[in-house]
Amino acid sequence: MSETHSQQTYKSYWIVWGVLLAITGVMLFAEVSPFSRMFVASLLLVAMMVKAALIGAQFMHLRFEKPGLVWAVAGVALFLAAFLFISIAFDALRIQHMVQP
Amino acid sequence: MEQVQAAGVVASPPLGERGTPFAMSWQKLMMWAFIVTDALLFTGFLAGYGFLRLASPIWPDRARIFDLHLIGLMTFVLISSSATMASAVAAAKRSDRPMLLRFLVLTALGGLVFLGLQAYEWTNLIREGATLFSNPWGVPVFTACFFLITGFHGSHVLSGVVILAITAIRSAKGRATPNGAEVAGLYWHFIDLVWVFIFTLFYLI
Repeated sequence: MSETHSQQTYKSYWIVWGVLLAITGVMLFAEVSPFSRMFVASLLLVAMMVKAALIGAQFMHLRFEKPGLVWAVAGVALFLAAFLFISIAFDALRIQHMVQP
Repeated sequence: MEQVQAAGVVASPPLGERGTPFAMSWQKLMMWAFIVTDALLFTGFLAGYGFLRLASPIWPDRARIFDLHLIGLMTFVLISSSATMASAVAAAKRSDRPMLLRFLVLTALGGLVFLGLQAYEWTNLIREGATLFSNPWGVPVFTACFFLITGFHGSHVLSGVVILAITAIRSAKGRATPNGAEVAGLYWHFIDLVWVFIFTLFYLI
């Protein structure tokens, strides 16, 4: 708990709240928009990461914690997500091609 | 030789005096350790869902099955409860007990509303014929993924509401500490964080 931590005002939390809701609105709008599926999916993934980063940094106070903790938490999660994706995505697609006639 | 040892002792006092890693309370550190392991649980679920989805030649159109207005409302409620929880932690740090209690109750109410909406969503789908291993939409694993992922998330919300209720009671009795409120807050924000991923990866993409 650092000094700046306790000075965090209520206002900043409600600004983050507004930003999170705005991003959610854009995501729901993109879902029903006529844009290409690939574009919408990319937009959704970026929006998801921005929302996750906002919650982690602002609400969970990661921006006030030591960099070591941020690496231990966010670094591990990002590495694992990338590792899992690489290790299962190609296998899953291979199965899909085997199942399809 | 003794001097060197003495210097070494000064540079590295016993564990209890050195404090904790990352200079935070043990309770908070343990909550972070729990959050990382719990995140691995949901990572496993979402990775399993991703595998089944990619390996499946077809996947039901979620827009036809789910009511996106309802999902949007659930997301709104959970994000709002996260903001009230952050405010509760700020109030606890200022030792503002009435505000802490008010924000804790609001957060718990948000959790209960979310659970109610989820129960409504589940009931509708079950009435349409969805079970854990079968559904009318052609891909049986679809509802297996749905019930497991949203069910585990919902059970986390329920336990979160219990933790908030305990923190609120302690605060009403004047026994809540800023540290306790912050640890409860970390768990609640984590639940919101997990929903961000479920909302995007399961409902939208």
